Amino acid sequence: MAERRVTTGMTAFVTLAGVYNMPVLAGERSREQDLMTSRALEQFLASVEKRAFKIAQLGLRNDEDALDAVQDAMMKLVQSYASRGSDEWRPLFYRILANRIHDLQRRRTVRGRVMAWLPIREAEDDEEFDPIAQAPSPEASPMRRLELDEAIGALEAALQDLPPRQQQAFLLRNLEGLDVSETASAMGCSEGSVKTHYFRALESLRARLGEVI
Amino acid sequence: MSQEPTEFEKRTRALLEESSGRLDGRTLSRLTQARHAALDRQQKSARAPWWRWSVPAGAAAAVLAVVIWVGHPPAVEAPASLANLKSVDDFELLTDADAPDFVDEGEDVEFYEWASGEMES
Repeated sequence: MAERRVTTGMTAFVTLAGVYNMPVLAGERSREQDLMTSRALEQFLASVEKRAFKIAQLGLRNDEDALDAVQDAMMKLVQSYASRGSDEWRPLFYRILANRIHDLQRRRTVRGRVMAWLPIREAEDDEEFDPIAQAPSPEASPMRRLELDEAIGALEAALQDLPPRQQQAFLLRNLEGLDVSETASAMGCSEGSVKTHYFRALESLRARLGEVI
Repeated sequence: MSQEPTEFEKRTRALLEESSGRLDGRTLSRLTQARHAALDRQQKSARAPWWRWSVPAGAAAAVLAVVIWVGHPPAVEAPASLANLKSVDDFELLTDADAPDFVDEGEDVEFYEWASGEMES
């Protein structure tokens, strides 16, 4: 009898709470927090994914590897650091991405050494033609586009020739807009090292591209 | 950045932004898929927290049970024949090396039964 009364009371409370949009149970509050975290993560990942891909692409010189590196970094951030404050996500994400890029570069070096001893080369990229992939983005005039293409090509070639740490420091600060402290956290080094790497990268690029871009 | 960026820095940044914005449809699609896959995993793990903790907790409980059982095995029960012994004399009789011979003889059993009856009467 008493049990029935308690159950009836709980049901009434839950019904009333539902009418007033009150969070009733700890589980419901937790679900709301999870949902908010999920939305915040989605916004964060959407905001960084293109620049992250560009950084990975310049570091790895391969689109597929770059996509893998970005996906791995996303997975790792969501799995291991979702509960951290959202202000920590950016340096953490780029730290993970930098480690992943480094791993892939190292693996490629080893694979390159092994393949050099083998008579059979890797098969050429035989992916099917994808019309969506080949579709041009909406752009300005052809002349302007050509100028931009040349400038971007020269800049990216110069960036690819930089030592990895200089390239990383330059892209994180210049493209991603991280400050010195965040860049140091993402690169796992001191702020002084970041300043040195960035300054040297800037000098190299200026010497090479000063008149081109 | 703490200092005002130079014109060169602004220009390089603009070019890199332009380049990032020019990603083809396939790459953009792959990035969106990667983001959704990561978020899907996060939502799944958030939805089933019991799964994350119950497996290690169950394994730990099982290990603890085994450790306790091995450390303190249950006492071995005495055989029923020994437990039913009524006196020390019975125990001595059973452990006496001569007793089995006495029983195994068999042929004088009737005599001993008669002698026992006579003694009681």
